Amino acid sequence: MGNLIEYYFNPEIFRESLWLLIKTLPIVFEVLVMGLVLSYAWGLLLALMRLSRVGVVNKVAGAYIDFFRGLPLLLLFIFIYYGLAIAGIKLSAIASGVLGLTLCYGAYSAEIFRAGIQAIPKGQMEAARSLGMTGSQAMLNVILPQAIKLVIPPLTNEFIAMIKDTSLMSVIAVPELLFTAKEKMGVTANPTPLTVAAIIYVVFTIPLIRVAARLETRRRKPRPPDRPATAGDISPEAEAQLHSADIAGQMPKGGYG
Amino acid sequence: MGETLTAMIELIDVHKSFGQLEVLKGVDLTVTKKEVVVVIGVSGSGKSTMLRCINGLEPIQKGKVLIEGEDLHGPHTDPNKIRQRIGMVFQSFNLFPHKNALQNVMMAPLKVQKKPKKEVEQIAHDLLIKVGLAEKADAYPDELSGGQQQRVAIARALAMQPDMMLFDEVTSALDPELVAEVLTVMQLLAEAGMTMVVVTHEMGFAREVGSRLIFMDGGVIVEEGDPREMIVNPKEPRTQKFLGMVL
Repeated sequence: MGNLIEYYFNPEIFRESLWLLIKTLPIVFEVLVMGLVLSYAWGLLLALMRLSRVGVVNKVAGAYIDFFRGLPLLLLFIFIYYGLAIAGIKLSAIASGVLGLTLCYGAYSAEIFRAGIQAIPKGQMEAARSLGMTGSQAMLNVILPQAIKLVIPPLTNEFIAMIKDTSLMSVIAVPELLFTAKEKMGVTANPTPLTVAAIIYVVFTIPLIRVAARLETRRRKPRPPDRPATAGDISPEAEAQLHSADIAGQMPKGGYG
Repeated sequence: MGETLTAMIELIDVHKSFGQLEVLKGVDLTVTKKEVVVVIGVSGSGKSTMLRCINGLEPIQKGKVLIEGEDLHGPHTDPNKIRQRIGMVFQSFNLFPHKNALQNVMMAPLKVQKKPKKEVEQIAHDLLIKVGLAEKADAYPDELSGGQQQRVAIARALAMQPDMMLFDEVTSALDPELVAEVLTVMQLLAEAGMTMVVVTHEMGFAREVGSRLIFMDGGVIVEEGDPREMIVNPKEPRTQKFLGMVL
């Protein structure tokens, strides 16, 4: 028991690492905020391309999404940082990290956005068009506001996965949590820094997991029995679609908190 | 002016197929100003499809659709512009659930016509009063009954100040006790001189409000005439059979 504390919860190393690791958080946040904004924007664009009636646009987006969904993110990070350098394209570790997240998570979130857009009943688009709106006016004013509300829970799950995947950037020397913890472990010959890193990860992820679960249960609030089903209701098929699009996260199937 | 002779809607030999299935097999129809044309027929007869072809929600394979003389599918026509002049109300209401009643009515004039917000708000308020829902301006669609939703949908279509209105079985999804409130609004609209094409099963409405009755079957117009006369005295055997079932 004494050894266990000595190995994994060494008080002195714990204190030292805690401070050291907290100092990496601004970089982690920077990468995450950029990754979040860029990957969701890219994902939305990809989703719209995927739904385009122009065959080429649609196929290109489809191929992109399939490719990056199938690719290990770790490989992508290494390719961007080390692989591209050989061709003379030298990106900083952080830029490589953000690019990798955007390319990969863009593909994940594209599927979520697509499922969200397709979950909106056809009558909404028809009503908007019948009022004289163009396709893009209808998308912007009618479809997207509803679709985005629908995809917030799966996108939150996506974000949780993204937080965890920042640790993969340790292989391209982004001074984030895992990278710094591993270095400290090397110096101290003690795994306590990993314990600290683990704690910091879950301090951020667990509240988000709870938030996602709550958003999810609220969205699926059953229709009151006195209100008849209307065309505005999301169909069970669309629900299933949304679920299957949630690749990176693990959407709670039942009720959570 | 010869105003009453103006063709608001003209369908010339319109053919429409969904894949192999031909739903409209050559429909000719002329609707003049202030006419209330009521369209009846069994489901699958093509009446809803015909309505959706009038404002170009469905592309057609053959024929012409003229709206106030303008070819809807003409090379220089912007169908979005034409749709602004054609209001449409749907069986399933299709209100925008993320907007309240007032915002539903305001959206198209704001976003499409780019009118100033103050003006649009006034128009929307007046329209909600007209359909008897002034006190529901802040209510969201899921807080409204079907009849109320449908009246908001009518107000929403009217907000674009259309020259004509299309009604696609607008009372079919309503509980029986809510049908009257919607039909009343439609009747007021007809009395105010709106040009209307109404697909419905409400024979009472056809008789009271309709200026012309059209019976469709198998993708063509089988018979048309004065509603009061045609309901009592249909000429075509298919019309007789249908009316025998619904009356």
